[in-house]
Amino acid sequence: DTNAETNNYNDFELNKVLVDEESDDSKLDPDKPYSLGPKISDWVKQRSEWLKENPDYPNFIGPNKPRVLLVTGSSPKPCENPVGDHYLLKSTKNKIDYCRLHGIEIFYNMALLDAEMAGFWAKLPLIRTLLLSHPEVEFLWWMDSDAMFTDMAFEIPWERYKDSNLVMHGWNERVYDQKNWIGLNTGSFLLRNGQWALDLLDAWAPMGPKGKIRDEAGKVLTRELKNRPVFEADDQSAMVYLLATQREQWGDKVYLEHAYYLHGYWGLLVDRYEEMIETYHPGLGDHRWPLVTHFVGCKPCGKLGNYPVERCLKQMDRAFNFGDNQILQIYGFTQKSLASRRVKKVRNESRNPIEVKDVLRSLHPAFKAVKVSSS
Amino acid sequence: MGQDNFAPQKRSSTGGGGGLPTIRNEAGAGGRNRGFPSMPRGRQMHKTFNNIKITILCGFVTILVLRGTIGVGNLGSSEAEAINQNLIEETNRILAEIRSDSDPTDPDESPETELNPNVTYTLGPKITDWDQQRKVWLSKNPEFPNFVNGKARILLVTGSPPNPCDNAIGDHYLLKAIKNKIDYCRLHGIEIVYNMAHLDKELAGYWAKLPLIRRLMLSHPELEWIWWMDSDAFFTDMVFEIPLYKYEKYNLVIHGYPDLLFEQKSWIALNTGSFLFRNCQWSLDLLDAWAPMGPKGLIREEAGRILTANLKGRPAFEADDQSALIYLLLSQKDQWMDKVFIENQYYLHGYWAGLVDRYEEMMEKYHPGLGDERWPFVTHFVGCKPCGSYGDYSVERCLRSMQRAFNFADNQVLKLYGFRHRGLLGPNIKRIRNETATPLEIVDLLDIRRSVHGKTESKS
Repeated sequence: DTNAETNNYNDFELNKVLVDEESDDSKLDPDKPYSLGPKISDWVKQRSEWLKENPDYPNFIGPNKPRVLLVTGSSPKPCENPVGDHYLLKSTKNKIDYCRLHGIEIFYNMALLDAEMAGFWAKLPLIRTLLLSHPEVEFLWWMDSDAMFTDMAFEIPWERYKDSNLVMHGWNERVYDQKNWIGLNTGSFLLRNGQWALDLLDAWAPMGPKGKIRDEAGKVLTRELKNRPVFEADDQSAMVYLLATQREQWGDKVYLEHAYYLHGYWGLLVDRYEEMIETYHPGLGDHRWPLVTHFVGCKPCGKLGNYPVERCLKQMDRAFNFGDNQILQIYGFTQKSLASRRVKKVRNESRNPIEVKDVLRSLHPAFKAVKVSSS
Repeated sequence: MGQDNFAPQKRSSTGGGGGLPTIRNEAGAGGRNRGFPSMPRGRQMHKTFNNIKITILCGFVTILVLRGTIGVGNLGSSEAEAINQNLIEETNRILAEIRSDSDPTDPDESPETELNPNVTYTLGPKITDWDQQRKVWLSKNPEFPNFVNGKARILLVTGSPPNPCDNAIGDHYLLKAIKNKIDYCRLHGIEIVYNMAHLDKELAGYWAKLPLIRRLMLSHPELEWIWWMDSDAFFTDMVFEIPLYKYEKYNLVIHGYPDLLFEQKSWIALNTGSFLFRNCQWSLDLLDAWAPMGPKGLIREEAGRILTANLKGRPAFEADDQSALIYLLLSQKDQWMDKVFIENQYYLHGYWAGLVDRYEEMMEKYHPGLGDERWPFVTHFVGCKPCGSYGDYSVERCLRSMQRAFNFADNQVLKLYGFRHRGLLGPNIKRIRNETATPLEIVDLLDIRRSVHGKTESKS
């Protein structure tokens, strides 16, 4: 057994080792309708009482600045594609950088909470669990692992959403009128912690349980939505369907945002990075300097994506560098080019670092300020 | 026999500028299972040479260990064991460093010239009034205080090279390690900087942390402490909090053993895989005094000879940051030691081999929050080096152990949500608590953040 003897990582098969001793003894009752958890109807009351009792954990950490938890994740098993984990690592560093600058906490999930809701549906039980366990969180920001921040300076316009509970990138006409399956994107969205969110998750979940239910639901979705290919139900199509068919119930609290790229499809953006650097500047968040570049369809962790692997990986490197440059520049460095892994100094160091005002201001933006105590 | 002969080969094989290096392109197109058919012959020779070096080193270490066991008969058996363990631990670390001594290729880069040994290397312009500058900044920026909710502001700094690891397993464990650090830091209100850039090509490799630490200190006057942590170190006690009150009069907190340092002058008396630096003038001065052995090439090699000659048990190889710090603190003891806290009451750094097999026993007998041998704060996988091609222990042993440490820690995070891992090795989890319609009762009991933090008060 070469596995046991070797000191060489290249010869090793990790999946042989990462095996559970205990077997899975849970039984799924096929007749029982799926549920994300016990029905809760008084979450507003429970949560507001808790917030009152815990003034050290307010749901707003500044005027107009809600407490946000960014949630992302990946499989606990190594990627099938050997470079997949490297890109997950870079994507995670990218998120750490943005979130540090913007005072946002991160939850990186690597656990499958509910075997029935595997795959893209796994985010639903996770989101519910996190909302209920973190009453201090005002907004939960789900972000796919293949999405990267490319505007490090752009702050979400929270005020705009004060009457909304769900913010997704998308267009009203494409969802409500056309029922287009990509009229919105669930790879990066904001969900306000509250009763409405729990109810929405409950209404969203039924198409998810894998197997017959998900397959049948997939057929419904392909039939009802515009341009949808044939495959099992996915959470995004299910959301389009839910909103289009139950608009009166949910629509008034859903904000379909397209003034900036809360999700930005990579195909339209990555070839223009040099042009952006030449013409514009960070902080715009939109087509001029996208907040998020999302590599839909690339699937770097799996073996088969929808696009040529080399284009995907090369562009992911460029997007990473585009974002990383903005961080490095604050510290006085820059990437040598969007394709390079080398950095160089762009600014001479000073004997009086605190006088390099612009620099320090970028690192200490207003939205990160701590409330000054009035003692 | 230096690297210079091989550099041109590396460059020509990567083709024109702007693209990905050749090996990676092949990997992208057809997977890695073909091994390294495109590895230049020079690199293979280099690897063979490394293997010879390692064989000799292993023999040398065996002798050393024997000497060590016999020679320290006067000390208590536990100290002898600790020394033994440390020797093995550190040798493995160094062996691994030898293996990963190649720099990333860059098709755009002109040949790098070595630093002129007659010109003293510096980390940056000399600053002499940082304490004053910092104080001024803090008073002008009260919304960025150095104490938040009564706690000193800490930044955890870690990182890994910008290139993919030699194999996918390495990147997978870097990913798990950063998730682990994200979890601990979220629970304890600590920010993270994950570095993937070589800020100073002179100080590449393990020395890279020096310019990084300096740069972060000067850019973040609101930081009270900078905590460097290696990428192969995992948090295994999610509750334990660093007892900063112990260090009010100190500026450097590092795991080690005073007798190994002052009496033995051992090259592994301290561990620079996890340590804290206060953001102050003293630290800038220490970094300046520490850096001179670092610049790669002649300087680092010559420094290595000095270190081997002066530190007990150190094999012959180029200067590393840990040996250099030990040497510095020994030879300039009076200047620095009054502000250095050598910590061994808890595992600010915990050598993995003595810990990972006891996790089940710990779960049975003890509980998180202890931070010491009963429930180690940090489990540090020195010598495993999964990002390279070769480890010094069996790969299976290292990976099993790293996965166990990861699950052991993750269990402490999942507890709040009602789950734990089925075992310490596998990926699956199971529910340990039924869901209720009143989840906040449990949250109050189990949220680590609220059990750890005291009440609020500003402090300057």
